[in-house]
Amino acid sequence: MRKRSHRVALCIVGAAAFSLAGCREEEVDAQAFPDLASCQAAARVGSSAFSEADCDTAFAEAQQIHVESAPRYDALEVCEAEHGEGACGSEQQVTGGGTGSIFMPLLAGYLIGNMLGRGMPMAQPLYRSSDGRFTNATGATSYSGNSGRTQVGASQFERPPTTVGKPPMSKTTVTSRGGFGGSATGRSFGG
Amino acid sequence: MRKVDMPERPGWREAAAELGFTFADMHGEPYWDESSAYEFTLREIEDDIEDPAAELHGLCREAVAAIVASEELMTRLAIPEPHWDLVAESWHRNAPEIYGRFDLAYDGTGPAKLLEYNADTPTSLYESASFQWGWLEEQIALGVLRPTDDQFNSIHEALVDRFRTLFAPGTDLHFAAMAGNPEDYATVEAMGWAAREAGLGAHYTDLEKIGLSEDGQFADAEDRVIGTLFKLYPWEDLLRDPFAAHLAGAGCLLLEPAWKAVVSNKGLLPVLWQMFEGHPNLLPAFFLADVEAALSGGSPAPAVAASFARVPHLAREHVVKPLFSREGASISIVENGQVTDASPDQGYAGHPKIVQAYQPLPVFDGFRPVIGAWMVGTACCGVGIREDRGRITQDLSRFKPHYIRD
Repeated sequence: MRKRSHRVALCIVGAAAFSLAGCREEEVDAQAFPDLASCQAAARVGSSAFSEADCDTAFAEAQQIHVESAPRYDALEVCEAEHGEGACGSEQQVTGGGTGSIFMPLLAGYLIGNMLGRGMPMAQPLYRSSDGRFTNATGATSYSGNSGRTQVGASQFERPPTTVGKPPMSKTTVTSRGGFGGSATGRSFGG
Repeated sequence: MRKVDMPERPGWREAAAELGFTFADMHGEPYWDESSAYEFTLREIEDDIEDPAAELHGLCREAVAAIVASEELMTRLAIPEPHWDLVAESWHRNAPEIYGRFDLAYDGTGPAKLLEYNADTPTSLYESASFQWGWLEEQIALGVLRPTDDQFNSIHEALVDRFRTLFAPGTDLHFAAMAGNPEDYATVEAMGWAAREAGLGAHYTDLEKIGLSEDGQFADAEDRVIGTLFKLYPWEDLLRDPFAAHLAGAGCLLLEPAWKAVVSNKGLLPVLWQMFEGHPNLLPAFFLADVEAALSGGSPAPAVAASFARVPHLAREHVVKPLFSREGASISIVENGQVTDASPDQGYAGHPKIVQAYQPLPVFDGFRPVIGAWMVGTACCGVGIREDRGRITQDLSRFKPHYIRD
């Protein structure tokens, strides 16, 4: 019997790694669009690998994921702290359902990708982040913009966990920091 | 078991840099060294390392049960008294363990001997689970190794399975290490990859940046509440930090759990010997306080007198180790009644100590390998080898890849 892993994550990429997925995994050609219209326009002039029908399918999928899996917050200010001023609305405003006391970011674009062997394009919603960049629904991946071509790891298109009906994220009030680490006895803690 | 010279993969240093393995050369010395590798038979791996490691793990768990039930042992292991309940409760609640590493002396013959158990903060996870794996795959592709060669290394897959078993999909886990240490960080990130692959949310925070909320919860650098914290920071230090007072009330699951404080502690070694004297994978060990007088011709403590008398050679041939010591610090070797070797780093010299029978490491081509047997959950799932020219394996020792050929 084989004594070794069939595959492993091969890289360590510094402090950003926890916000980047896709280390030496299958790469997918992907394109970001701020909205459906820009995707369709690119398809019409042939400057895109995707057809207008692809745009429609992917946009619908991104919207559905958006409704189910966008990050949800217990206050507008918490949402805006993450996504920037004016980038959030209540669940009711954003999805047309839900409550007015849960807040989520507005859809700021979508990522569309083609994986070999899968007939339909895949899609993910994009959100603004407070630093002027864009993130996916889990917030785990950060993108510099919401338009243009890129290559991303296939796992970027995995379905994010649903946030509907889950307790929204709250900002805890931090009163003190630095209470761990002071007893450090060595410069490395491993052995 | 033998050591085999073999060609290095062309361009591996550049590849290592690209993968982020920045400490492949440390302080101008090679850390990862693939100019040779250790070859094992499948029987050696399975019968001499894998099965004994799983058995040792079982003995250690029995020792935990005994230690947390004994105020005397908790004292001897220097567990701070205000936290005895925290440690004991984590055991009684069956708080889950993720990983650990047994360091074994093994030369291809005879039973492997337990030198120590890195139960709480073992590092070199990335090079064991990932970089070593890539080395084997590439050396097979290059024709240096055979397609039928294998490696004892399902560490990554075992970690993914472990996380998947313990946590519901989408659970958020925080991973913390002290800032500014690439070796520690690499281990934390290798762990984070496994969690992510298991469908969990993996977030990193510097340990020093962890905060405490008004309602006594821990929060990360971005003020998000920490529900589960994997910390590459030893319990013996954690329990002495100011925030230790909030551990019990923070509602935070810590990985490794608090009960690991009693096994990632050299005090485990005399307890194991007391409980399982004569076990083939254990070395005789005693608390120094019990036998210090006996080492200079006096009498040992009555409780261990009979046991001490059964290992007459130990008085003149032994190793002295502090309860807490990382990377070989503050260890000394006594042979023929004289200190013949002492590690230059005496940072732990003031701590209580144990003595362990001296088990010389085998010498292969001028270097002494220590076999790191990786545990995930209760199973042994891989090996990582570090070797050193000196007799005390330290932080500048080299990591050597291995393969199995049958």
